[in-house]
Amino acid sequence: MTNIKTSLRSFFSSIRLTVVLLIVMALLFMVGTFIPQRESAMEFAQRLSPGISSLFHALGLFDVYHSPLYYVLLGLLALNLTVCSLNRLPGSWKLYRTPHFPVPEGLFSKLPPNRVLLTEQNREACLSSLESLLKASYGAIEKDVKGGHVFFSIRKAGLSLFSVYGVHLSILFMIAGSVIGSVFGFEGYVNIGEGETTNLIDSRNGRDIHRLDFSVRCDKFTLETYANGMPKTYRSDLTFLKDGQPIRQGALMVNHPIHVNGYRFYQSSFGSAPGGRAVLNYSKGKGQEEKVAVSVGDRFDLKEGGAHVEILRIEGNLMKFGPGVKLDIASPQGRHIQFWVLQHIDEIAEMYPELLTQFPLFDPALFKPYRFFLKEIEQQYYTGLQVVRDPGVPLVALGAFLMVTGLILRHFMPHRRIWVRVDAAGRQTRISLAGRSRHMAALDRELDLLGRRIQEKGIV
Amino acid sequence: MSHTLILSWVTFIYFGAFVLYLFRMILGGQSWGKLASLAAWTGFAAQTAAILWRWNVSYSLGIGHAPLSNLYESMIFFAWTIMLFHLFIEWRTGSRAFGVFVVPLAFLAMAYASIAPGVNNEIQPLIPALQSNWLTSHVVTCFMGYAGFAFAFGCGLMYFLKTADADKPENSNHFLKRLPTLASLDLMIYQSIALGFVFLTIGIMTGSIWAHYAWGSYWSWDPKETWSLITWIVYAVTLHVQYIKGWRGKRMAALTIVGFTSVLFTYLGVNYLPGLHSYLN
Repeated sequence: MTNIKTSLRSFFSSIRLTVVLLIVMALLFMVGTFIPQRESAMEFAQRLSPGISSLFHALGLFDVYHSPLYYVLLGLLALNLTVCSLNRLPGSWKLYRTPHFPVPEGLFSKLPPNRVLLTEQNREACLSSLESLLKASYGAIEKDVKGGHVFFSIRKAGLSLFSVYGVHLSILFMIAGSVIGSVFGFEGYVNIGEGETTNLIDSRNGRDIHRLDFSVRCDKFTLETYANGMPKTYRSDLTFLKDGQPIRQGALMVNHPIHVNGYRFYQSSFGSAPGGRAVLNYSKGKGQEEKVAVSVGDRFDLKEGGAHVEILRIEGNLMKFGPGVKLDIASPQGRHIQFWVLQHIDEIAEMYPELLTQFPLFDPALFKPYRFFLKEIEQQYYTGLQVVRDPGVPLVALGAFLMVTGLILRHFMPHRRIWVRVDAAGRQTRISLAGRSRHMAALDRELDLLGRRIQEKGIV
Repeated sequence: MSHTLILSWVTFIYFGAFVLYLFRMILGGQSWGKLASLAAWTGFAAQTAAILWRWNVSYSLGIGHAPLSNLYESMIFFAWTIMLFHLFIEWRTGSRAFGVFVVPLAFLAMAYASIAPGVNNEIQPLIPALQSNWLTSHVVTCFMGYAGFAFAFGCGLMYFLKTADADKPENSNHFLKRLPTLASLDLMIYQSIALGFVFLTIGIMTGSIWAHYAWGSYWSWDPKETWSLITWIVYAVTLHVQYIKGWRGKRMAALTIVGFTSVLFTYLGVNYLPGLHSYLN
């Protein structure tokens, strides 16, 4: 039993396992960038043979970043990091707590010449000025006298010994934060026309509709362009309403999301849709043209005759014939006639001379003696909003902060231990500098600096 | 006279610096090395001036932004960071042996910016997604990271040449003899990767913060995001292999090449995959 436990522990604490896991993850991510994912996977899957397609599907390759394989790898990595860190922590703690003395064996043997400084000053004068220099430069120092040698000991950046655990912990935080986000988070999209209000958001997977406990009104959408035609600003003026009362008003722009009740709103897309207002003209016989601007559901009376018109539909592109408006006309006798008024009816009738006789539905002069003309359909902007709630963000942000701090501490402020030995060399006094660090270059710089300081102080 | 003209001159100066570094390696002698460094510093100073000039011009056009917004500008900045890294290391170590493999990378980036098809060198206004204070910090940190990896790549190539030399010392030539020792190349690889890694990490973090404000999520698995993570993983592995016995040295040198390939794919290859970061549409 203990055997299994030890071998499991050594398996999960192995750095080889880390390397293998990371490489497999990297390969999986690469696959994810070459095979279309999620929304775009469907079309790609149809071009593959059914066998390969279902194999890819079973392996989760159409949604690599949410596949079981990915979660297993994440779990193993988290376990590996945890066991590995726990295994090494006592060693770092021991190193952190190591007493300054005795000096490590062999520390002062084979020193390069520039680490040994000689002075004519007597030992006492040299010691006192050296001690005050070290105190001024490093703060806390320790002193020891042994066998005619005086030793000073200095430590720098002891915290750096633990930086690696900070970095590993930061990865666990980020994994946890991302899992929280994908389980409890929400991502959806909604298009809102100018002047419209909604509280229904389509979730990203398109399977369900999310109902907010407040609603959003798009007051206005603005698109600005530079002189060369490149887009400059997308801006939605939004009002957030609860129980009909505005709770928040603001301009939403790219890079400037709005937070409301735990949801973040982003300017994601925009578009223009017909279906706002249509401008219709009509004339009676050869009479003067009358102009009306109408929306769906509007009713108006025709001049001279008392017929009653209702607008049934306004379409931007009816059966590829272009813009069209469907009317219902009630004659004073109570007879109803329905027909379409197409904007480009003259061109269409020229192309299909039989059209109007075969399909009187498209005849704009069906209600005699009137004739209708569709002048234009006004385009109406809609704004495309992305709506997000991600409770994992604070944990991920904490992880990111911890990781950057840990890496800077580890690579730029490494743990250094320095010892200075003072003894007699013939009639001269000898100062020797030595140290220990995982980061030799940083230690060398530190010792060079200390040597220069000792010389500048006139100690040697 | 314009900043683009200066930048084309800088391309030639970097090429000249590379040739001088090469002469130093083949012919030896202090003077070639000094001339090479002089050329490198001159080119770097001129490039810095040209970048600042371009920045200033964008403001006089009324669309002011740091010159980091399209492929041309980022390529120029990439070359600049490689030179910055190179000159910093040369000054810090006092060794001119790295120039011959690092300066040509800066030259190639400059040359690519001016001759590659579809690279537009005009100053363009910022589209809404790029109008963010995070643009500058994100791009600067990413490219500082890339520069560290480019430097490590140069050292990795040197490492392989040097091992070929160590295997057959009898027919070794002057060029190979003047390369830094294997131990110092190994150390240099580790340190430049560590530096690059810290910058790449900050670059990904700043990018995530920006994405949080611009795209609605700190991480969307956009191909460029994904590839930056792949690059990050490659270098994380590289930094960890020193703890596996016998993996330092040749294998780490091989990883500098794998890593830099991944960097180039993250930077350029990804543009051919559909995604939010694409420069090509």
